[in-house]
Amino acid sequence: MKRTLLIARREYVAYAKTVGFWLSLLAFPLFAVLGGGIPLLIRSAEPIKAVAIVEEGPQASGLAAVVQSALKAEQDRINQRAQDAAAKGQAGAGRAVASLGGPKIRLVPAPGAIADASTGPSRDEAIRHALDKSTPDDQRLDAVVFLTRQDGRPAAQVWTGRANDSDVGDFVRSALRTGYREEMLVSAGVAPALVDQIESFRPEVKAFSPNAASGGEVSMRDRLPSFIGLGAGFLLWSLVLTGASILLNSVMEEKSNRILEVLLSSASATEILTGKVLGVAFLTLTVLAAWGGLGAFVLLSAAPQTAVQVGQVLLHQGLVFYFIAYMVGGYLMYAVLFAAIGAFCETPRDAQTLMGPIMMVLIVPIMVMQMALTSPDAPVVKILSWIPFFTPFLMSARAPSDPPLIEIILTLIGMFATAALMVWIAGRAFRAGALSDVKLSWKSFGRAITGRG
Amino acid sequence: MTAALTLEGVTKRYGDFEAVRDLSFAVPKGSICGFLGPNGAGKTSTLRMILGLQPATSGRIDILGASDGRLVRDRIGFLPEERGLYKKMTPVEAIAFFGALKGLPIAEGKKRAKVMLEQQGLGASQKKKMKELSKGMAQKVQLIASVVHRPEFVILDEPFSGLDPMNQQGLEEMIRGLAADGATVLFSTHVMQHAERLCDKVVLLARGRKAFEGSVDEARSTSPRFLDLEGDITPDAAAALPGVANVEALADGRLKVALLPGAAGQETLKAAFLGGLDVRRFALKEPTLHDAFIGLTGDHPDQPAVREIAQ
Repeated sequence: MKRTLLIARREYVAYAKTVGFWLSLLAFPLFAVLGGGIPLLIRSAEPIKAVAIVEEGPQASGLAAVVQSALKAEQDRINQRAQDAAAKGQAGAGRAVASLGGPKIRLVPAPGAIADASTGPSRDEAIRHALDKSTPDDQRLDAVVFLTRQDGRPAAQVWTGRANDSDVGDFVRSALRTGYREEMLVSAGVAPALVDQIESFRPEVKAFSPNAASGGEVSMRDRLPSFIGLGAGFLLWSLVLTGASILLNSVMEEKSNRILEVLLSSASATEILTGKVLGVAFLTLTVLAAWGGLGAFVLLSAAPQTAVQVGQVLLHQGLVFYFIAYMVGGYLMYAVLFAAIGAFCETPRDAQTLMGPIMMVLIVPIMVMQMALTSPDAPVVKILSWIPFFTPFLMSARAPSDPPLIEIILTLIGMFATAALMVWIAGRAFRAGALSDVKLSWKSFGRAITGRG
Repeated sequence: MTAALTLEGVTKRYGDFEAVRDLSFAVPKGSICGFLGPNGAGKTSTLRMILGLQPATSGRIDILGASDGRLVRDRIGFLPEERGLYKKMTPVEAIAFFGALKGLPIAEGKKRAKVMLEQQGLGASQKKKMKELSKGMAQKVQLIASVVHRPEFVILDEPFSGLDPMNQQGLEEMIRGLAADGATVLFSTHVMQHAERLCDKVVLLARGRKAFEGSVDEARSTSPRFLDLEGDITPDAAAALPGVANVEALADGRLKVALLPGAAGQETLKAAFLGGLDVRRFALKEPTLHDAFIGLTGDHPDQPAVREIAQ
């Protein structure tokens, strides 16, 4: 035991001293900030497009005003949302809403060469010139919209500087559709005020379920468990992947540096394997604790009510302990396997022979876990969660939707039995691999396990 | 004298390949024993079986009173053939870590490490990382790491390989020091000169089988003395001299004339001069352990044994 802890401690300290560890510790919060911040940044940095609108002929009269008023209405709506957010004390969120929402469009008067010209090559030439990049900024346009009517219905021709720019076209389409609807309703005798009322109507829809926490109305509290389950599944997946990769590299380094033989003369293969698995587990737990602590802090300060609900969900019927059990089993299964593979390898290339299939296996739960969020009882999710290698991920994702107790117990037994088998196999393979110069292959791995190596 | 290590009829097979065959020998307590043989003779396999790293296919091993080296691993120090330590650790940390695995408290390990590094002239490198040390320095550190817990039995697999003559001499002194402190030392080598200078006892291994067990002098006595002759002499003329067992023409033109057991050599020389042979230089030489090895096994200790290594 003492030797196991010594090896675990060395493993922990060796990695805690590396730059990579601190990077991974900071990476998640950093990417969370970046992940949230980048779309805002892109949107707010997006330039406002200068768009000229031209009504073609008297039949198009009034269409420019429709587009203009749609733009103003959209802007008013965004401003209102930003003010509402600011009023709730979320100034940052208000700014974010203001910068994210709405079309980035500025209507400008059309140059005479375009507005006054009739259709033909000279007008086309004027448009091309106005949209050309080399045109001075004060004369340059991002888009020119020609509004017209076909069979009495509004239509548009949109010229844009960039061929793949669909923002202006989308906005004009939406504005014309709304305008036409209003026009038709008014012409059918509906009062304009009533049309506005109908347009702005948003029905209130409440969801009810006998399984909701309140016994009736479904709230965020009821949706939270599924998200937490999915989060736990993904967290376990990343934990397994990072932890197991650290182990693989660590054992590989010891093998290539000829340290494994010295270690084996000082401790048993089981002690070494356990020590290393423990050390890396503590390491990943440190990262998890740091992330979890930070996440809890942010949640508590930003949305204390949600934080309390998350706590309630985790403690409800000991859900957190299910997660821990699946986490332990899942980590153990994969970690010892990776460590055993590492004992046969001196370079990452050596490891690829076996890593490929294992990575393919690990991709399956990622795909199925998302299905578990919406349909936790789908047959494919149920069946796959019985396969021990998928159990920890899929059962974590399913756990909040209360799968039958018998399924929980049996999958746990299956998973821990497989984990025990993996520890046994890995112990044998580790010992054989550590002392052998045989290159890793399915054959050599098999021989090591069966003791014929 | 009681034995610290006894092997009886030990055999190791890897599939169809027999790495060690029916090997028996004993190492007395407090002695330095050389385990000699060319690469591929089965030395490393035997040492791993002694340590309990690999099970013997058959036979019995007794080390420090235990039937399995793993049961007494804290009383054994081991330096493997292919060496390495954690590159990012300092020598003191590495020595203390491996000492701790053998039950030595970390603080005591660090204290001893500093003293031992100082004794080996590595005082200035204590705080450097292992990757910054030269190969010779790193090898010394690893040797210290394998004996810092003051083991009763020290097993060194090819400890001299890769060391320059200066460091080889330092290592010889260290091995003598270990034995002087009461430890039993078993080391494998294919370089006979080290064994000749250090060993109380040698075990010669060839193609997985024991070829000899005894003292260095006993081993040498199995090989004939020989005359080293230089001059315009044909091998046939030399072979016709009295007391000659056989003649080997060396590449540089000299003749290596092996004498029959009991032949003094002077008689042979006298006959050569009286017979008018063109002897320009001569020397009467005692057999070396190297000669004894070749005589006993038919193998050359510096050349790998021609066996398929299937492990």
